[in-house]
Amino acid sequence: MRRDFTLFTIVWALVTAASLAVAYFILRDMSFPTHGAEEASVIDDAFMALTYLACPVFGIVIAAMVVALLKHRSSGPNNGDGERILGTGSLPVVWFGVSSLLCAIVIIYPGLTGLFELRDHKDPDLRIVATAQMWAWTVEYPDSKVKVFGAQELVLPKDETVEVDITSIDILHSFWVPAFRQKMDAVPGQINKIYITPDRVGDRESDAAYRLQCAELCGLGHAIMTMPVRVVEKAEFDAWLKQQQSVTEAK
Amino acid sequence: MAAFTEAAHAVAHEPHDEVKHVRMNRLGLWLFFASDGLVFALLLSARFYMNGTDTAPDVKQWLGLIITSVLLISSYTAYRGETALHHGNVAHGRLMLMLTILLGVGFFAGVVMEWSIAEFTVSEGYGTSFFSMTGMHAAHVASGVLLLFLAWRKAGKGYYDGGGLKAYGVSGVVMYWHFVDVVWVFFYPALYLIK
Amino acid sequence: MTRVVRAPIVVGLVLAIIGFAFGAGVLGAIRTARGQSFWEIEVGMSVGYVFALIGWLAGVGGWQHWGREWFGLEAKPYTLTGWKRYFGFSPDHKVIGIQYAVTFIVVFLLSGLTAMLIRVELMRDGKQIFTPDQYNAAMGFHGITMVAVAVAVLLGGFGNFIVPLMIGARDMAFPRLNALTYWFVPPVAVLLIIAVLMGGWESGWTAYPPLSSLHTKHGQVLFNLAVITFGLVSILGGINFLVTIIYERAPGMTWSRLPIFVWGAFAASLISFFFTQALAAALLMVLLDRIAGTSFFRQAEGGSPVLYEHVFWFYSHPAVYVMVLPGFGAALEILSHLSRKPLFAYRWVAGAMIGIVMLSGIVWAHHLFTSGMAPYLHAPFLVLTEMISIPTGLIFLGAIGTIWAGKLWLQTPMLFALAFIFNFLMGGVTGIYLADVPTDLHLQDTYFVVAHFHYTIVGGEIFALFAAIYFWFPKFTGRMYNETLGKIHFWLMFIGFQLTFIPMFRVGIQGMNRRIADYPHEYAGYNTFISLAAFLLGSSFLFFVWNMASAWLKGRVAEPNPWRASTLEWQVSSPPPEHNFDEIPVITDTPYGYGGGPAHHRPFAGGALATEEG
Repeated sequence: MRRDFTLFTIVWALVTAASLAVAYFILRDMSFPTHGAEEASVIDDAFMALTYLACPVFGIVIAAMVVALLKHRSSGPNNGDGERILGTGSLPVVWFGVSSLLCAIVIIYPGLTGLFELRDHKDPDLRIVATAQMWAWTVEYPDSKVKVFGAQELVLPKDETVEVDITSIDILHSFWVPAFRQKMDAVPGQINKIYITPDRVGDRESDAAYRLQCAELCGLGHAIMTMPVRVVEKAEFDAWLKQQQSVTEAK
Repeated sequence: MAAFTEAAHAVAHEPHDEVKHVRMNRLGLWLFFASDGLVFALLLSARFYMNGTDTAPDVKQWLGLIITSVLLISSYTAYRGETALHHGNVAHGRLMLMLTILLGVGFFAGVVMEWSIAEFTVSEGYGTSFFSMTGMHAAHVASGVLLLFLAWRKAGKGYYDGGGLKAYGVSGVVMYWHFVDVVWVFFYPALYLIK
Repeated sequence: MTRVVRAPIVVGLVLAIIGFAFGAGVLGAIRTARGQSFWEIEVGMSVGYVFALIGWLAGVGGWQHWGREWFGLEAKPYTLTGWKRYFGFSPDHKVIGIQYAVTFIVVFLLSGLTAMLIRVELMRDGKQIFTPDQYNAAMGFHGITMVAVAVAVLLGGFGNFIVPLMIGARDMAFPRLNALTYWFVPPVAVLLIIAVLMGGWESGWTAYPPLSSLHTKHGQVLFNLAVITFGLVSILGGINFLVTIIYERAPGMTWSRLPIFVWGAFAASLISFFFTQALAAALLMVLLDRIAGTSFFRQAEGGSPVLYEHVFWFYSHPAVYVMVLPGFGAALEILSHLSRKPLFAYRWVAGAMIGIVMLSGIVWAHHLFTSGMAPYLHAPFLVLTEMISIPTGLIFLGAIGTIWAGKLWLQTPMLFALAFIFNFLMGGVTGIYLADVPTDLHLQDTYFVVAHFHYTIVGGEIFALFAAIYFWFPKFTGRMYNETLGKIHFWLMFIGFQLTFIPMFRVGIQGMNRRIADYPHEYAGYNTFISLAAFLLGSSFLFFVWNMASAWLKGRVAEPNPWRASTLEWQVSSPPPEHNFDEIPVITDTPYGYGGGPAHHRPFAGGALATEEG
């Protein structure tokens, strides 16, 4: 029994260390799509915090299974029974307490803190209206009366907070740019808002994360209901907006 | 093996077993009410979700009051019928069941009338709630009437002679009738009375 | 010839057709009288179906053996014997258990085949074998049939067969209701298959309006009718289990002496009998919007798709516990018997199951974090959802405490049960990311979610299902499966499963959303790998089918208790005699008598309680 516990502790430490190492050195750098907006930090940090917390928990179960599998195999039903351990002592109480504590930690950080951080938005520098329909996006820049549609581009300035008003004219769709992380459904007759502050220049040409993708099943064209996204420096954005305006007026 | 030799087999068909059987049926029925009640509860919630506390101004208050009274009275006659049959009074029990059936049909007719003279359509927000709620309820009333009729018919053939546990079938049907009645007690104010 | 004509299924089919014609005809007459066209496909199908269903149930045996009594006639006796019982109206819970198990395993394999086709389509970007339309049909079919399998196979198949035996009962509380309930299942399958043949429906298994209420094809109506019907199976089955477990326990079988599988079935039934009506209500609203012109989901009239999402998930989240709770029960049961140790922390585990039931009803809105519902709902649902990890943690404690210092006999069912622990650990841990609002905003509706729920439902419940199949196969059939084939099946399935779903987490985080027939070229590498792994996973079932078929037909005859297990079902012959027990056993102690402690039965003392002949 004592040797079991020793082995358990060793395996637990190894599994925890190994999974933490994988999380820290591999997952953190390689898993996420391009970090394209300030708000993405909240989400990525929450993801990593949950992963680190999960590692020791994962380790406990794996270690218990490893010990049982390595040391307590039997070749048939007639080799006697295992020890009569009923688990009526204090272990379940401790387990219950520790798991409740862990749960409370996860609820507070990264759960509620992250939630409030995302909701606690600054005043937007720019407002755009994204309207979904089967199966294309229309994005309007109401202040400058510019409108882009379908295969055209959604262009956003770097380091400006953008309020996106999301709605739909027919059925449910969802607004999602993987680089910006946040996702919000487009509901007919209702305006849902998210706030994005792009902090890196990027475009769809070189990065699949820079695409506006419908993320709520909307029938036939759901997969192709995308729009390329391009984040540019503020000056370039202003120039682009001017150019679009002249195009609109020429019409 | 010694633990097993003491058999419960001998008591398998004694009266005690019938009591247990009735209890099981009753529990099953109550579970069904809980389950079925959820549909009504959700329709009721949907009504408030969609229409807030609005009512249609043109709903017929007099008709609502009449059908509600009819349904409440029918619960009383149903209870009288059940009690009579339990005491072995078949003739009175059948009379009361038939009265319940007639009142149930009357309620149903009232709903049909309400539907045909309603001044709003099913595609309006309030109409959606009104027609779906009364429709679902009326379907239950119709099935209740059918069950009451079957009980009335079996009572006539002497199935419940002697009363007591034998008349459990009637109790089941009457409980269902009360359940449908109670649902209306929630629906009536939600559809007619809220201002 | 007359015997074929009188076969219950034939009578049922004939009456179903007559019923359909009657319903559609009466409706047509009313429509004609009101100046509308005689036949309108969606209304016609809906009304016709209701009468077809009544005709089918009456014809298949509901009238002969039950309905007659309501009209003051004598019910007919059950005359079918041997294999024919499985194709008729049988009140025997063991027959019904096998009916459910075989039906749903066949559906499982069919649906798995659809999954293989989906993986062929997704192997590369661009179009492979499906148009987007066909892809949506395949995806919807895979989704809803697998949900149905997951809800019904363990509870319906193994619950029916094993629970009455485990609690020392002769049958379920309502045997005829049980038989009738099973016969609701074939119409569900028929409707879904017809729906696919008509071109399917586009809205997946979740049927979100307004897509489902305004736009998709006629198949949507059949889908709604099928799922509402299936809901009845779940509700009536749930009520039957609850009353059985409350009233039919043998003398001395107190609540703290119930085998844990019975607790799992009890907890799952609590959810299925109550919450399933929410699914029926949600789909009924969609149906009414389509065929009766109501405005539940039309914004202009005050309706809202968010209303549907609330009602739908009010059932569909608890539904995942209908799936996994019997899975917990089966896996823990097998871990105990094949480790030869009593279940660890029994009371905590049973309490955790009830805790899960209670929490399951108040967490549904975590599916709506990105739906645009009122923001004040986010925080409470985050907190409540995360709290489910506490009772789930206790289930894990029970599992690892049970195998600790045991005597692990690594037969096929034990391997599956151990894999269940690992898979559900993965599923449970990744669930936390989805309960957490910030991470969910990114992960919602991506392949991360797909991987997560496959880990919980397939990795959790379906692995437990296969553990249960191999474990109770000798009890069901009286024959022993082939251990080598079983182990090949396990290893192919286990490895194939990990290789398929672990990359899905990754590609989901990377930005691949779910339910798409095509994706950006950047994700092609992952998807090719996933598809190949999925084919490996799929191939494992060839060994399973081969094993089951050959063992059932000509396998070695099994002993009554090949596992030397201590619960009651193993103390009777294999397969059990018709009335289960010659004498109802009297229970004096706990179900797990390993390690020399008292038990309600000593592990296999040498004789069976009852035999086939006895």
